[in-house]
Amino acid sequence: MEAVYIDKNIDLVNACRKGSRAAQFELYKLYERAMYSAALRIVNHEAEAEDVVQEAFLDAFLRIGDFRGDTTFGLWLKQIIVNKSINCLRKRRVEFTNLDGVEIAAEESADQEDLQWRVEEVKAAIKGLADGYRVVLTLYLFEGYDHEEISHILKISEVTSRSQLMRAKTKLRNILEKKGARDEY
Amino acid sequence: MSTKLEDFIRENKRGFDTDRPSAGLWDKIEAELDKKERQKKKHKRVFNIQLWAGIAASLLVVLGITFLYVSPGKRGKISVEDVNPVYAQKQVKFVSIIEQKQDSLQAFAKTNPELYRKFKADFEVLNKTYEGLNKGMAGSPNQQMVVKAMVRNLEIQIQLLNQQLSIINEVSQYKKENSI
Repeated sequence: MEAVYIDKNIDLVNACRKGSRAAQFELYKLYERAMYSAALRIVNHEAEAEDVVQEAFLDAFLRIGDFRGDTTFGLWLKQIIVNKSINCLRKRRVEFTNLDGVEIAAEESADQEDLQWRVEEVKAAIKGLADGYRVVLTLYLFEGYDHEEISHILKISEVTSRSQLMRAKTKLRNILEKKGARDEY
Repeated sequence: MSTKLEDFIRENKRGFDTDRPSAGLWDKIEAELDKKERQKKKHKRVFNIQLWAGIAASLLVVLGITFLYVSPGKRGKISVEDVNPVYAQKQVKFVSIIEQKQDSLQAFAKTNPELYRKFKADFEVLNKTYEGLNKGMAGSPNQQMVVKAMVRNLEIQIQLLNQQLSIINEVSQYKKENSI
């Protein structure tokens, strides 16, 4: 199943290399949701996320010659999306470092597993996070970056990345608990 | 069923990817792609102009070099007459004499092929010197000297041919007498 999926993309990518507009549209249709959602999670602003998606697809199609095929097209495109999204945040002068020093909160042990999550709620809660928290959490949980990669891409230390993630998760849980509590009453 | 928040997100990653950009986004991308393609074509046209300019420039260079080489060639074709008309007259006279004598010598070629070949080789040595002088005349600082040497060379050629003729005459005479 997975192999068939990849093969299909390779054909489309090869058609793209030859400049096929139809193939470009196919790829766009295939990836628009995933890419837009990823961009939106990072920049947290619909119009800016659209700009990011537009630029990323343009870049990908114009620089398709640079795509060596050592990853899937989707992963390659996602990388462009993430980079552009973070650049977009930088333009907004978002600060990725901790404001109040670097400290790692103690790992919470209790009360973690007593909630039944719902996608839409979690999504909304993520949107409620501060930029710095949201980006680290998104890169770590959604895009699968490790702390080393996050420290490179955000130009912060690995320790900061870890503590940001910790705080982000705590904050997210708090938001969700409050929401849950509100719903109960 | 309860799960950790992290696991929940990882397991439902796809479920989170539900946002869609506005419907007009593809049109924007397509318009940009079209624009970039037009720019590329324009670039190609500009490049073509550069290409043609390059070809024109290299043609000019080639022509220039050719002229540089051809003009001394023209100078090389300066005739003796340009340098010294008196010698030129002598040259013309001598050359015609030489031609006559060569013809006479050739008449003996059949009867004395060995001798004729040797004579011819000797004559060629002189003639080569003459050709060398002729070529060198253009670049020479003292063209009068060169022309003098050329005419002197022609004189020697005539003398040589004279001697060759008398020798070959004698030899054929001797052969005739002996055959009788």
